[in-house]
Amino acid sequence: MPAGRLRIFSFVTEPNAAMYRAVLSVFVAAKERFRLHLRPLDVLSALRTLPSGAPSEPTPELEAVETALRQLSGEWGLLEAHPDTAAVATVEEFYRPRFLYRLTQHGAAAEQAVRLYEELCEQRGELQTAALSDIRSLLGELLSLLTQDEPDAGRAYLALDTLCLRFGQLTEHAQAFLGSLQRAIDLHGASLEAFVAYKQRLIDYLERFVQELLLSRLEIAQQLIQAEQSGIFQLLHLITERQLIDALNPTEAERTAAHTRWRDRWAGLRTWFVGELGQRSQAEELRRHALAAIPALLSALSGLHDRRARKSDRSADLRTLACWFAEAKDDADAHRLFRTAFGLSSARHLRIDDETLAERDQNPISASTSFLSAPPLRIAPRLRSHGRVVRPGRPASVIDRTQDKERLRLEAEAEAEALLAAQRRLASGKRLRLSELGLLDELELRVLLELLSEALAAGADGQEVSEVESSDGLLHIKIELVAGSSMAELSTVIGTLRGPDYFVTIQETAGVELRTEVRG
Amino acid sequence: MRGSRAQAVLASTISQRSDRESAEERRRAVRILLVRPLLCAGGDDAGDFSLVRKHVDFLRTFFSKHLGWTLEVDSGLARLRKVPADLWDGTRPARDVHTGIPFSRRRYVLLCLALCALERAERQTTLGRLAEQIVQEAQAEALSAAGMTFDLKSQDQRRDLVTTVRFLLSMRVLVRVQGDEQQFLSERGDVLYDVERPALVALVNLRRPPSLIRETDWSSRLAALSAEPRPDTPEGRNQFLRVQLMRRLIDDPVLYYSELTEDERTYLTSQRPFLTRTLEENTGLIPEARAEGLLFCDDRGDCTDFGIPEEGTRGHLALLLAEFLASRLRTQGDLPIPHVDVVRHVEQLIAQHKSHWSREATQPGAGPALAVETLERLEALRLVRRADGSVIPRPAIARYALAAPVKEARKDNAAFTTADGTSGDP
Repeated sequence: MPAGRLRIFSFVTEPNAAMYRAVLSVFVAAKERFRLHLRPLDVLSALRTLPSGAPSEPTPELEAVETALRQLSGEWGLLEAHPDTAAVATVEEFYRPRFLYRLTQHGAAAEQAVRLYEELCEQRGELQTAALSDIRSLLGELLSLLTQDEPDAGRAYLALDTLCLRFGQLTEHAQAFLGSLQRAIDLHGASLEAFVAYKQRLIDYLERFVQELLLSRLEIAQQLIQAEQSGIFQLLHLITERQLIDALNPTEAERTAAHTRWRDRWAGLRTWFVGELGQRSQAEELRRHALAAIPALLSALSGLHDRRARKSDRSADLRTLACWFAEAKDDADAHRLFRTAFGLSSARHLRIDDETLAERDQNPISASTSFLSAPPLRIAPRLRSHGRVVRPGRPASVIDRTQDKERLRLEAEAEAEALLAAQRRLASGKRLRLSELGLLDELELRVLLELLSEALAAGADGQEVSEVESSDGLLHIKIELVAGSSMAELSTVIGTLRGPDYFVTIQETAGVELRTEVRG
Repeated sequence: MRGSRAQAVLASTISQRSDRESAEERRRAVRILLVRPLLCAGGDDAGDFSLVRKHVDFLRTFFSKHLGWTLEVDSGLARLRKVPADLWDGTRPARDVHTGIPFSRRRYVLLCLALCALERAERQTTLGRLAEQIVQEAQAEALSAAGMTFDLKSQDQRRDLVTTVRFLLSMRVLVRVQGDEQQFLSERGDVLYDVERPALVALVNLRRPPSLIRETDWSSRLAALSAEPRPDTPEGRNQFLRVQLMRRLIDDPVLYYSELTEDERTYLTSQRPFLTRTLEENTGLIPEARAEGLLFCDDRGDCTDFGIPEEGTRGHLALLLAEFLASRLRTQGDLPIPHVDVVRHVEQLIAQHKSHWSREATQPGAGPALAVETLERLEALRLVRRADGSVIPRPAIARYALAAPVKEARKDNAAFTTADGTSGDP
């Protein structure tokens, strides 16, 4: 709609708006009585009989009325002026320009729009539980119509139209209600008794609606889906035809527009009750919103209780306190006020240590001894001389073992590393006689002995060659008896090992690398 | 039969031990509330809060019966409404969270105005918005009549505001969501907070609305603010006496008999065993009764905001100064000691200990300021009284006199065992 056409509404905001509204309302009232044309005098007398608005407004004069009428009919086109051809009685009247005024279509629409807007603003809002059952029964009727072969378009149109109307009202009123509920919850200074009574009724009201919504939502959703499966969309075509049956010359564009409107309404209905994939339906949202209103209400109530506990408002108290602090004559007075008004100060006590206590247990001091003659506190010399006690660690229960654990861990790591190094040194992969292994250190000797023992144990009696993996799977040893039963001498750091000679092949197990773990 | 008897003994030992443990837990919970009367479920106090919640019935009964203090505990908050007995004690200020410096009058006023602004706030607010609202509140005539104006434009004023807000953060009335107060100080950014309404409501402890109090004299104002209804019967008066005495014993370091009224003294003399036993059993504090007064000592160090002896430069200086004053007390009685003598001694101490004291204490010219600060600390601990130009040591300071040194072997042991006992928080 081009912006120019909306300029018609400026009669609401003009300085003389009250007069314009009054005049238009006179015309609207006359139109309801099927009087279409009015003269200025008629308008004036109607205005005079209306209950006046503000007491300070003077009763209108003919001049003002005529000016208003001219303005309304001129630029804005809310009224239409026709020359008045009736006969007059006086000469002045003959020379005065005389017009008859009629409310135009635009004027009627504008006035109606403004009136509707005002009504909506005043609307209190409701949670219409009854609407839900209406919607259910209307859907039931639609379903029954769908089962017929030749559904009655008239009844279908009526049913769907009413359905959409009721549904629109339900959502509109629910929105208005919950909006006003939020404002009501922000009640400040409401009397407690009124609020308590209101609260109970409100909670009952909300609960009733929520229950009904819960029950009907599922049923309505089922009905909607069933309707879609039974061919509601074909019915929509029929309904569109029925709607346009009285139009003079329905164009194709109008027909598709009407049809699209019906489809949109149906889609809206569906979304509201059934919901989209992955999203909650609007009905569910409404239910949650209504449910959430109850605790919000209760917290507002507890806030009111809080305020009731003190006759005056907390803010006023705090302001007075602020003034008092400002009036304090020194800091000490301010501290006193802080302690009394806030009560957050810690307790304060002198200390005592275990040694003094133990000594007092041994030599109790009577209550009549003076402080001056009683033995003083035992204070650690270091505390007295340096102001710090040798760091004693944590008090009593938990002994801190982290250092010891760290040390052990390092030792274990070092051991593991050494072992792995030894294994790596031995696992040369070459086929050597025992005596050719060279000088072994302790760890290497240990590893070798373990491997040998496993290999010898694995080998059956008399078998000359045996191959085995070490128990940790990292090394692979193969031993072969040397022919000729020669003795081998293996020198190590701690001594010499003598025994039958073998060919020994030690290698790392394929696929496993000897590598120290990196621990985090 | 022997087996079942052994089992019964074992069972009773176990139940005794668990009783002891829960008694110990209860005492710890009492001490926690004494030191931090407002505890929130979130944040650093979560462990303490759950302990308090565990023993809420015992705590509520104890505090209400013996001290007349109400304890409110719900799922998010625990608040012990401490009503002080000695209203004239000006040594318990609100402190800057980082530096420990007491609040000035301006900061207190800012605190009240901030709370006023937060009353109207929604669930969240920013520091900028709070500042605007405070400035608006501060337009009140009474404040400007007292000479306090707030425009929160200068750096000092912004710093005051940030200190106040940090105090509120420490009480968990505000919870920081985004931003940094430092940025606000340098005018580079803003900070977003959640407003915790329950903590806000619980913060102030007013029985009577100040706006209804008409007194202008300070002590009458304080008395009116903390007035409690009490029946005018002998039992009522006795009950009041008892509750007042218990409050002083549990909250203040030393109770001197010379400070009590006639009625109080009579009551205390007759009821002292009962009072000391009740307090000792329920708090774990250890009574020390002497001719001049009664005090409860803290052997664990967790029932006081600062104590003596204490680690660190200030604690050390306090200890040494207490020693000096105690020796004067013992030799010269309670003659007032001129302030200059104290300052001189402090300067000697600084010279003696400057190798292991903090740098700011050993600056040249730090002597007088440090002396004043230490004397304030000793006064807060009720060990001295300050008059103009002189210092009067009070009897309890004799506890810190220098004793004759103990034999060498025992001294080493002393270093060990005392080390366990006197390990306080530095």
